[in-house]
Amino acid sequence: MTPNGAFTLGFILIALGMAVPGPRGEAVLLVLTLAFAAIEVRGASLIALRRAAVVVLPLAAFMGVVWVGIVGESPYQIAAESAGTRAAALAYVATLCGRLFFIVAVIQLVFLRFAKLTPLQIIRALALPATVKRVLVITLSLIGTLRHAIDRAHIALIAAGTLTRSPSLRNIIHSWRLIQAVWLSAITIMVGRMRDKWPVENTIARLDDTLANANPAWFSGDDRIWLPLSLGAAVVILVADRIGGAL
Amino acid sequence: MFTTPRLILIALGAALNCAIGTVVYLLKLPVFLDSIGTILVALLLAPDRLAAFLCSWAAGWIGLALSGLVNPFLPWFAITDVAISLIAALLCVAAAKTFRDRPLNSPPFIGQVALCGIVIGVVSAVISVPVVVYLFGGVTGSGSALVVAVFLKAGQHLMSAAMLSGLASDPPDKILQVLFAALLYRATPAEFIAMLRAREPEPTR
Repeated sequence: MTPNGAFTLGFILIALGMAVPGPRGEAVLLVLTLAFAAIEVRGASLIALRRAAVVVLPLAAFMGVVWVGIVGESPYQIAAESAGTRAAALAYVATLCGRLFFIVAVIQLVFLRFAKLTPLQIIRALALPATVKRVLVITLSLIGTLRHAIDRAHIALIAAGTLTRSPSLRNIIHSWRLIQAVWLSAITIMVGRMRDKWPVENTIARLDDTLANANPAWFSGDDRIWLPLSLGAAVVILVADRIGGAL
Repeated sequence: MFTTPRLILIALGAALNCAIGTVVYLLKLPVFLDSIGTILVALLLAPDRLAAFLCSWAAGWIGLALSGLVNPFLPWFAITDVAISLIAALLCVAAAKTFRDRPLNSPPFIGQVALCGIVIGVVSAVISVPVVVYLFGGVTGSGSALVVAVFLKAGQHLMSAAMLSGLASDPPDKILQVLFAALLYRATPAEFIAMLRAREPEPTR
């Protein structure tokens, strides 16, 4: 499976999840997603589920406080101006968080499918315009630069007595100075690279050559099985409950 | 259009959106602060409005994609980011000279920050409300959900509660964002801004 195919499949699954199909449609969607996880991602699927839980559980707790604790009724009851119940609010929060869990899990599954590739290899394999690939590579390379910038700025502000190592009110008051210092540090590093380092090393031309040499096809290999399968399943998911309802 | 310094600016803007926006989201503050990078990118590319719009849009969407890994609500507000980029390119870019004046001329600075913030805030509230109501039933994972809840409890309808919450929290949030972007713009070295405005030489092969 190519990264193009995996990202397209992930997009289809998420779009179907947000289309709010009925119970039959959801069952088909779940089967399709589980098949992708079992066949393409295998054991790493558990990591995807764990990461999705880490993202969604705090959100579920927050939404529970808001909807069940404060509002005490579901949005449907509010819209219908009927008497609200906390049970309905809880059911609403559970449904919404279930859908969000599904979305996050699908995104994680797609990335974990290529866990053995480096980010640069994934970007090379994507069928995207050269400028988009370049900005993706630069964004990834900036993550390391920003980490250095944060470390430097943080340590400098601690040494100057502006921030403290442990959590404190002073850190909250002066957090803006940290952001400014990080921004300036990152800009200074990047100006140095663009002005001195990259021209000498001919970095940009080499990067373009690296990205252009891949010449990837849009879809190939298992994409030709997964994408028609997912499109066929999409039709079934969208009409399954309507046909059932009509009968 | 997309020279190397501008691509680096897009990446920096996306990183700024992602870093500050994610911290605010996790703290559940009733603000967002997730478009500072978008506005800053537009300011740094003044007076070229087309470049400002396209680059800030790109920064906004890359930021959304990155932040979406932590906040699954965020990618659904992609259209709001386009609107923010457009207004930043049209309105904030016009104020870029005032924002960078030395010494700082306070009355026009404050006035421009407030004007840009209020316009961006009102437009993003109006564009975000249908997403908040129809996709998520009125409550998202951000701290502003508490404001929606308070309005609902006060007897407002879902749509009006989401709209009132947006109009109550978005303009102050966007004023803060424009202020932070303007301050970072003032602090950015002139050398970097000159690089952004220069044409890129052909790379040697």
